[in-house]
Amino acid sequence: MSLENGKISSFQLSVLIIGFIFGASVIIAPGQGAGHDAWMAIALGLTEGLLIAWIFTALARHFKGKTLVEINSLVYGKILGNFISVLFIWYLFHLGALVLNNYSRFLELELYPATPKTLTLILIMLVCASSVRRGIEVLARCSLILVTLTILMAIFDTLLVVPHMDLHNLLPILDIPIGKLLWTSHATAIFPFGDAVAFLMVLAFVNKPEKGRSAVFKGVLIAGLVLIGVAVRNAAVLGQMNPIYTYPTYITAQVIDVGDVLTRVEVLVAINLITMGFFKISVAYYGAVLGLAQVFNLRSYRPIILPIGILMVILALTNVSNTAEMFDFANNGYPIYTIPFQIAIPLITLLVAKLRKLPQIGGEQA
Amino acid sequence: MPGFLFKKLHFKKILNHEQKKSAGQYSSSVSLSQNLEENLRVLREALGSSSDVIIRDMKISSDSNIDAAVVYIDGLVDRALLNHDILRPLMFNLQLIKDNLSHNHKSLIDYIKSSVLTVGQITVVQDIDRVIARVLTGHTAILAEGATRALLIDAKGWETRRIEEPKNELSIRGSKESFTETLRTNTALLRRKIRDPRLTFESLQIGERSKTDVSIAYVQGITPDNLIEEIKQRLQRIDNDIILDVSYLEQFIEDSPSSLFPTVGSSERPDVVAARILESRAAILVDGSPMALTVPFLFIEGFQNPDDYYARPFFAALVRWVRLLGYLLSIYLPGIFVSLKTFHPELFPTQLLVSVAAAREGLPLPVVLEALLMLLLFEILREAGLRMPRSLGQAVSIVGALVIGQAAVSAGLVGAPMVIVIATTAIASFLVILFAEPGALYRFIMTLAGGLLGLFGIVLVSIEMLSHLASLRSLGVAYLSPVTPLNIRGLRDTFIRAPLWAMDSRPASLDSPNTRRQSSGQMPRPPKSSSQQGDTQ
Amino acid sequence: MKGKQGFVLILLIIIPVFISGCWDSIELNKLSIISGLGWDVDADTGQVTLTFQSIIPSETKGAAGSSGDGGQKRGNPLHTIQLDSSTGSSAYDALNRYSQHSSRRTFYQHTQLYILGRSAAEQGIYPFLDSIARNPINRPNVLMVVSEKKARDILSIQDGMESIQAMGMAAEIKLSAEYSQYPVVTYLEFAQRLLSETTAPLAPMVGIIEQAGPEGDSVKKTRINGTAVFKGDKMIGQLNEDESRGLLWAINKIKKGFLVIPGANLEIVTAKSKIIPELQDEKIKITIAIDEESNLLEYDGHREISSDLLQDLEKGQAREIERQVMAAVEKSQALNADVFGFGDTVHRKYKKEWPVLKARWEDIYPYIEVVVKVKTHVNEIGEINKALMRD
Repeated sequence: MSLENGKISSFQLSVLIIGFIFGASVIIAPGQGAGHDAWMAIALGLTEGLLIAWIFTALARHFKGKTLVEINSLVYGKILGNFISVLFIWYLFHLGALVLNNYSRFLELELYPATPKTLTLILIMLVCASSVRRGIEVLARCSLILVTLTILMAIFDTLLVVPHMDLHNLLPILDIPIGKLLWTSHATAIFPFGDAVAFLMVLAFVNKPEKGRSAVFKGVLIAGLVLIGVAVRNAAVLGQMNPIYTYPTYITAQVIDVGDVLTRVEVLVAINLITMGFFKISVAYYGAVLGLAQVFNLRSYRPIILPIGILMVILALTNVSNTAEMFDFANNGYPIYTIPFQIAIPLITLLVAKLRKLPQIGGEQA
Repeated sequence: MPGFLFKKLHFKKILNHEQKKSAGQYSSSVSLSQNLEENLRVLREALGSSSDVIIRDMKISSDSNIDAAVVYIDGLVDRALLNHDILRPLMFNLQLIKDNLSHNHKSLIDYIKSSVLTVGQITVVQDIDRVIARVLTGHTAILAEGATRALLIDAKGWETRRIEEPKNELSIRGSKESFTETLRTNTALLRRKIRDPRLTFESLQIGERSKTDVSIAYVQGITPDNLIEEIKQRLQRIDNDIILDVSYLEQFIEDSPSSLFPTVGSSERPDVVAARILESRAAILVDGSPMALTVPFLFIEGFQNPDDYYARPFFAALVRWVRLLGYLLSIYLPGIFVSLKTFHPELFPTQLLVSVAAAREGLPLPVVLEALLMLLLFEILREAGLRMPRSLGQAVSIVGALVIGQAAVSAGLVGAPMVIVIATTAIASFLVILFAEPGALYRFIMTLAGGLLGLFGIVLVSIEMLSHLASLRSLGVAYLSPVTPLNIRGLRDTFIRAPLWAMDSRPASLDSPNTRRQSSGQMPRPPKSSSQQGDTQ
Repeated sequence: MKGKQGFVLILLIIIPVFISGCWDSIELNKLSIISGLGWDVDADTGQVTLTFQSIIPSETKGAAGSSGDGGQKRGNPLHTIQLDSSTGSSAYDALNRYSQHSSRRTFYQHTQLYILGRSAAEQGIYPFLDSIARNPINRPNVLMVVSEKKARDILSIQDGMESIQAMGMAAEIKLSAEYSQYPVVTYLEFAQRLLSETTAPLAPMVGIIEQAGPEGDSVKKTRINGTAVFKGDKMIGQLNEDESRGLLWAINKIKKGFLVIPGANLEIVTAKSKIIPELQDEKIKITIAIDEESNLLEYDGHREISSDLLQDLEKGQAREIERQVMAAVEKSQALNADVFGFGDTVHRKYKKEWPVLKARWEDIYPYIEVVVKVKTHVNEIGEINKALMRD
């Protein structure tokens, strides 16, 4: 426990989760595959996401004050536990790299076509690294301000774009085949909601562990509702063009034009992306670094921050070669790839723990 | 890099410390001897042959057979007091006493203290060290042959500045007095504001050579005890030659010396310090400095101003927002302007872009350089205006205005929009004086980031800045509280200023043992009958 | 530990300084800001000609160092823009050719107008749309206009009070929405219709007229004078003034404007319309319900203003509106282009049947039965309440 001395309140946890979920979804509109029914896909995905959250918070409640790595070594023993922990850490690490990748792709396409991705990635990584070094407390504190700003900006954008909305664009409801809708909603359950499983590394530091679950639920729910609102807005403004654009939220903001003066405010969306992405990367980054330090029994996680960050940048640079591939992976590969990490590991660990009646024996937990 | 430097400095400090200790001047911690000559010799040795050290020999008692000496430093004591109430009673009144004290040296000192001297504060000491130290602070010492104790009389009196109007923290409605260089005056100013018996001034001396008096002011039961302990510990750790100003202390006790932002508050206004003490903070006063430090210091305090509390709440809230906005503007405006111009011209409304582009035509310097140059010029002007003798100040502003404003534009060296931006920034930077220094530094950083990486760079630096601010603590209190970590009740004195009757608790983030400030529900309600009367007439 | 925070901060500052070299930074005085873009295609060779109207900022007011001569230069608006064309085998080819020969980097994000030459529009504008949409140089609310002749001709006409012609024209088109005569179409709206399964894209048409100038010479001016109707990406026909108004009535795009009926002139205050499809035995019936309120501006008759008269006026309006809408319907059915988006409304209401209908939409559309139901109301009669002249 000496690895992290900070404590966060359940309220801060909720806000941090909102920031985390907004992370990449400000840009990669979730549920886009469902066309104008995206909001429904998100709503269904939100339910499934809450289910996933239920599973992993159940695990966290079972072992109060323990991160997943500690839980694993308790439940499975040192060797097998660490093996599973390393798998989970890989997931966090990969998640961070994926978000970094999204990030740099967006910047390259919309704002900085000529700047090398390596540079943007390294800069983002450095900023995240310096916050990760400061610990979860600082991340949580930043999240309150930045998430509030983001939500305010989203409301601002939405109000300004009202004159361009046509709610008919949302009709007919349920226009896509039910199978596709379910698949899309599963994809949204996994990304962005299910990714909150990364908080298994953070839930241990909530000052009132019994409130952890409701905080996670609140965070996921609020983020989900905002995303539904954004999906409705985008579909109403862009209509048939919604599924065409790579970054519909950005285009929606470009539509804003109030009297030729209040116009060209899409940069607000870009700022939202950068700030919210910061949280997603940082939390995943933090989880990976902290987990690794726990696996290897380091006294501090700080020395491995930069090395892990550099590896993350390298993975981000190499794993996906173009935007089409990124979307293909996000829509088709990712929802399956993450099932073991988001659902299987927490669920099986919970079941094994129950079978072994572990928390009762663990007099050391408190 | 700074860390490395700090380590080096620290190492050097330790070295110095060792040297100083070995060089020790008056390491004797001896008590006074019975022999007056011996005592005076030690004193002379310690105080040296300075011309301002006066050692007045005399014979006292009824038959003038006891040698005694009065030791003081000329200029630090009140001469009238010395002559009338010390020398005169000693040399004159003592002779009238018939009792033969000459053989009872032990009681002589007590007798002088209890029956001879007509001054207020007298202490009896046995250490010669204490005598030396106190004489240096302006006390007058009386030593007598055969006595192993000395009397120290507080007869300080020297030229001081009168209490004047605050120069830096102006207020329209508030009191017009400010701290002076005299510690006693300053404590008196505070005492006059807070007449609570539990208001405590704890004194200590800091500074190896300066022996500066330092006072920690707080109200017992309101300021948390652990805070006082922590402050004392930090102050006692200081090992320095001289404390010239509170800022010396500030740099020794602050939580994060590598931060650009101050984590210790300071004020020259007694009313501000009194208010902060009652908000369960502690104040540190230093003799010789017309400023008081207050800790813990929160970020939001930089945006609070005494007038906020004297004005009506709605206006106060407006002014708070103006200050906040102005401060953000002063940091961000040049950076954003530069980044829009060089990276994101698509974000200008078209008409504005055409104007800006028109002004940009034919200018020789890249925008970033132009902005940095203008910022530098502004800083030069500011510094010159500050340091220049008053009489020349006017010239600076005239030349500055002409050079920056007119000539540069009409010569086609700088675009007019840039001048407007820098001028706005400059004015905005004076809104929040406390953070003007970090503001100026961040302004340069933002401009650079905006010029090199556009808005992306600015956002990254902002995140880093925010995360840095969020990680700061001032004496254990989160710097950004009550905003984050959020404390809803604390927000009543941040972005708004709630009416005084509604602020019934002390700031919760300061963790006071006595959180209740006043009874709630004091909203003034005029009696109903009076208003009806008004209507009927 | 504290020092390392600072270390990261300083790294943050220093790294970009030394290695960035500012790839994406560009000084404003090295940009050529495009205000209008024209697209022409040679009917025979298929060669693409792009016409660029760019702003010359130094000639607009407020240029640096111009304070001395008090902005005398801004008198002649012809100097504020520059017109240039380049030809290539595709949109990007032409674009690149243009960029190669420009002293400044072209900057498209402030383009106000896309002007499509008629022959280009008739040959299909998909290559143009794609080349624009794929690039972040495009903004969704750029106005789309079809030119009667070549796009270049339109862009070269100096018309109106604005110093930058394309901006002036864009302002004119936007203002025309107030009169609800021709549709105002942004790139986004055009693309939305293009993407729809059945709905036909539209764009206003701009022509050139000649007027007598102040010194007896003839002056060319631009006028919006019709609505181009597309099928897919190809322009197939055009609606005239009446038909365009009818179209706007039906698709709920009437904001304000004037309505002339025999003997009277009215100002439209509010208008709402709804397209209600009905599917009966595989036959589609469309009802267009229009609800309109207006003020009386001018009445040429001699009758006393009475509720009788107002009722007559209301009936007259309803007839006129119905006539306009039906004109548009007939024209669109003749062109077999679903400009009203009937298909989409059917799709919304009859989701299950739609796949079948969609396949046969080409055959169904020309024979759809359209009923127009108009409800009108005269609100105000103006400052006089009787005829000015006695009978």
